[in-house]
Amino acid sequence: MNSLTASAAIATGRVQLANVRQNALVTARVRALWIMVLFIFASLTACVRIAQLGLFEQTPERTSLAEALLPSRGEITDRNGIALARAFASYSLWFNPKAMGEGGAPLVKTPEEVARALVGIFPDADYADLVTRLKAGKPCYLRRRVLPEDANKVFALGEPALEFPREEQRFYPQGSLAAHVLGYVDEAGKGHVGMEQVLEPRLLDPAWRGTPTALSIDARAQGALEDELGRGMMETMAKGAAGVILDADSGEVIALASLPSFNPNRSDLAYNDLVFNRVSNQVYELGSTFKPITIASAIDAGVVTDLSVRYPAHPLQVGKFTIHDSHDFGASLNVPEALIHSSNVVTAQVADKLGPVALKRTMEQLGMNERPTIELPARGFPLWPHGGGEGGKGDWARLTTMTVSYGHGIAVTPLHLASAYAALVNGGIWRPATLYKVDPAHLAPGRRVFQASTSARIRQLLRMIVVDGTGRKADAPGFRVGGKTGSAEKPGSGGYRKTSLIATFAAAFPMDKPRYVVIVMLDEPQATQQTSGQRTAAWNAAPIVGRLVPRIGPMLGVVPDAHHDVDISDLSPLVGSGEGE
Amino acid sequence: MMVSANRFRSIGWIALLLVCAALVMVLAFRVNSLRSQVHRTELQIVALRKEKLYLETEVETRANQQQLKLWNDVEFGYVAPTAGQYLANERQLAAFAKPDGPDSPEPIRVASADDTVAAEAAFPSVISGLAADISAPATSTDEDEKPAAKPADPADRVKAAANLGARLATVAPIKKDGKDAKGKSEKAKSDKSKSGKDGKSKDGDKKASLAKASKTTKDAAAKPGKGAKLAAGKTEAKSGAKSGKTPAAKSDKSAKGSKPGVKLAHAGSKSAP
Repeated sequence: MNSLTASAAIATGRVQLANVRQNALVTARVRALWIMVLFIFASLTACVRIAQLGLFEQTPERTSLAEALLPSRGEITDRNGIALARAFASYSLWFNPKAMGEGGAPLVKTPEEVARALVGIFPDADYADLVTRLKAGKPCYLRRRVLPEDANKVFALGEPALEFPREEQRFYPQGSLAAHVLGYVDEAGKGHVGMEQVLEPRLLDPAWRGTPTALSIDARAQGALEDELGRGMMETMAKGAAGVILDADSGEVIALASLPSFNPNRSDLAYNDLVFNRVSNQVYELGSTFKPITIASAIDAGVVTDLSVRYPAHPLQVGKFTIHDSHDFGASLNVPEALIHSSNVVTAQVADKLGPVALKRTMEQLGMNERPTIELPARGFPLWPHGGGEGGKGDWARLTTMTVSYGHGIAVTPLHLASAYAALVNGGIWRPATLYKVDPAHLAPGRRVFQASTSARIRQLLRMIVVDGTGRKADAPGFRVGGKTGSAEKPGSGGYRKTSLIATFAAAFPMDKPRYVVIVMLDEPQATQQTSGQRTAAWNAAPIVGRLVPRIGPMLGVVPDAHHDVDISDLSPLVGSGEGE
Repeated sequence: MMVSANRFRSIGWIALLLVCAALVMVLAFRVNSLRSQVHRTELQIVALRKEKLYLETEVETRANQQQLKLWNDVEFGYVAPTAGQYLANERQLAAFAKPDGPDSPEPIRVASADDTVAAEAAFPSVISGLAADISAPATSTDEDEKPAAKPADPADRVKAAANLGARLATVAPIKKDGKDAKGKSEKAKSDKSKSGKDGKSKDGDKKASLAKASKTTKDAAAKPGKGAKLAAGKTEAKSGAKSGKTPAAKSDKSAKGSKPGVKLAHAGSKSAP
């Protein structure tokens, strides 16, 4: 058949031409069909894709608004909502030696030149260390928490190997403020020292970390306390200082400072001796500040019923030991005079009358025999005097009772003292100190240590000490400050050291209705020109309180009033104008 | 015919289906586009919130307690306020008010009280005595109204003291015309009504003294009239104002030529001790 057709085609040129035309037409149609198929396929694909996108497609990494804004670690604020610690994406300085490709030098300039330029931007950087790191050629952090302007300066160096990744880190906008309360977060994201450690589970819990945690701290009062303590420390060239402001009724810690402090923003440098908290962890013999506690215990027990009764003020011989006063106060003193002039002898006699059982019970009720009650992990155990009997748990010896009465032979933290003073002045209820903001309607259950009448009497006596006695320099006008000085010699090898003192002032204000307790302590203050050559608390710790209270009072809602004061008219006649009788 | 109708109907159904499908499609597209808009906005919100946090943190860092203290030491030198800079209560504030001297300029009074607040004032003796002399003749000896002259009970005083702050804070524009007696203070009203009376009886002599008024207080206490209730009750205050309105306006008009209108309202208190 094929041969037939072929022969026919050859036979007539017309047939041949028609055949060619037919072929060309078929080819063209096939091609058109192909193109149409392609177009249909393309448009179908497009339609399907559009439908898919329009109807079903969800954005792949769709996260809720709340999730996107959830910080990696919860924020900590003060009682008024001022941020003390927050998760914050800050720049880091990262050395990436492979930024300019494999092989060849990682840096454009020499490592020495780059290190020198970096030291020019960050003056506290270590030149030798930088050179070593840059030469090593290993990727590493050169610095964390770089300020944006510093990052720009580094960028201007023109080194591609220096990169600035933004990383979420812990940032403390207030710097070293309340460092001992907050603690710090290390590079691995673990909290240390303060509330960062205590609150860790809550701060990391996705259910909780979105809401800031409010502490009881007031940043303004904290700033004032640190400032005044720092000034006092500098003026007296003391080794250290500690201070705490406590709400007398609720036990909330309004401010807590231990100096010298550390900067939690430099977590790489934070772990050193300075993280040691003098307020809650270090125990001291706090000396005469214990006298009001002894007197309160005696008034409460009915041992001191008449404040005009006079006690001999001569040095007191107890066994081989002699109890002295700092000065000779004359032949005799009554209880108000003993507090005003801070007489060890008279306080010891009152304690002797009171007896070891009652004094010990008072001290135990004030929590002096256990670690201070506060959330901080670092809490010091007091040096509690041994009693007689089995395991030293019996009654105290007569001499122990007497020395404890004026704050020797017992060592507690300044926080113990603050809680005890709160109980002394607030009507007699002891409450645990807390760093959480407390709703006034849900106060922690306290325990009654003193009767309300005893507390009222002690308020008068503490006010008298500031008006007429050793605490005069703490008398901030209009704030009705009351308090007691304490200057205790530090124990060293071979007895107490005469020139190494712990100077404390324990105060509360306003005395007609105490709202805040302030404890200020200086560790080994020196006699300087500012303290008129004295190293006792009346000259160094009391003035700090005198300057601090007017600064914090109005901020904490205590309005100064020169026409208002606690009534001490019934006690004033008992106090001689001289140095006792 | 039947076939074509059926066919027509089925074509109609298909067309309807297609239209519905197209509408659903359009709706779905719109929903999705809106959804992605929302998502984009959320991303924007997140970015802005982060930016806000960043700026907030920067401000807090630059203005932290230590920095503020340094600035204060170097630049400002602010110190904590002292006891003398505080006022304990409204009484201390009132103690700053100076009594007018014989030729002292009239005080410009802008504090006013609406009648409801003023009615709670309960400062009975002086004002009621004064008012009694002005607006009620001594003939009014109603036994029923005697209690009104008694001092207000302590509860009223406490209430009045609590409201004093609010009353002092009420500010009203100074009215130049004596006709607008309603917007003025209680005192202004009583003064005005007094001046009105004086104006009527003593040919517009506006220097009637409070000393004189206090003399009459005794009488008023014994025989309180309409004016005795002026300070105690709203309606009475209004009636007192009304009673003094016409003559007051008259005396104001007569004095307008020589004194500014503001002072006129207080003409009666000019020579008060």
